Amino acid sequence: MKKISLLAAGLLFSAGVLAGAADQVSVQEPYVRLAPPNAPATGAFMVIKNNGDKDIKVLKADNPVSRVTELHNHINDGGVMRMRPVQAIEIKAKGEAVLKPGSLHVMLIDLKAPMKEGDVVPITLGFDDGSSKQVDAKVVRPMPANMPAMEHKH
Amino acid sequence: MSERLLAAIAALLAALVLGLAIFWQPELPERPLPRAGLPPGGDFTVQAARGPVSLSDFRGKLLLLYFGYTYCPDICPTSLMMTSEGLKQLTPEERARVATLFVSVDPPRDTPARLKEYAEFFDPQMIGATDTPERIAEIAKRYGVFYAAQKVDTAGAGYVVDHSADTLIVDETGRLVGKIAHATPPDQVAAAVRKYLKPQ
Repeated sequence: MKKISLLAAGLLFSAGVLAGAADQVSVQEPYVRLAPPNAPATGAFMVIKNNGDKDIKVLKADNPVSRVTELHNHINDGGVMRMRPVQAIEIKAKGEAVLKPGSLHVMLIDLKAPMKEGDVVPITLGFDDGSSKQVDAKVVRPMPANMPAMEHKH
Repeated sequence: MSERLLAAIAALLAALVLGLAIFWQPELPERPLPRAGLPPGGDFTVQAARGPVSLSDFRGKLLLLYFGYTYCPDICPTSLMMTSEGLKQLTPEERARVATLFVSVDPPRDTPARLKEYAEFFDPQMIGATDTPERIAEIAKRYGVFYAAQKVDTAGAGYVVDHSADTLIVDETGRLVGKIAHATPPDQVAAAVRKYLKPQ
């Protein structure tokens, strides 16, 4: 009996994961900004779309190239930019969150090794229902208008 | 009589030009602050890898002055990249009349050598410099620049620095004349620079 309930729980859990937030989400134009020499941290940016009917939250992010990964935002306080960690990035049903310079971003802190243009950083986004999604973000030189070339590869 | 008339016309024209200069505000990204609303600015000397750099070294050039720090993960790279891309839109003659200086408000971590490498990543002509914490504080105050270290356990060496993110414009005579707001797109940076470059 115990075994069966465990199995049922396991099935439910995997079903939950499969139908989780991660599957409602599509990520567009992910990129990591090439850190200037001597800069120990850099940002990753992307547009996260929620195609589902439920609001979701990104609670965490992870990646193998930096020792710490955090979700951050900037507050423009009369021309003074204050960067602060945020607990979650909320994405409304059918909505999107735009992660861009000077705004919401994934912060890669304490880089283990210098990165170079063209490297790909796998970033794992963790959602509030426990599901997760990996996003491959290319390292690009910082360009104006946040444009990793606007190339829509679909 | 006709001389008086000419003088009157000249005075009228002068008033018109002055009026235009004061009241005509084309839509430019820099804050349309009246001169009186800007901080005093003034001369200073900071230490770059090449040696001391003074504001007076830039006489005859328009100087874009930015206060930041190399551990700055997002704001400084955004500002500096917009600036360097904007400057690329100038003609070579215009570009030759503009200089850029990055002053670190984080002297405990930013050495002149480190700042040189950092600044040149954005623009080979950009100079990176800093000085003692006391001197930087004094200069920042005169230029209306705010900064404050904030403890963040995970950031490199434990803190980030909140700071003013506008690019300051110092004219050919060394006077602080304007600002370009953070993240102003390159074409508007170029337009702002052109506005302050005196016709030759």
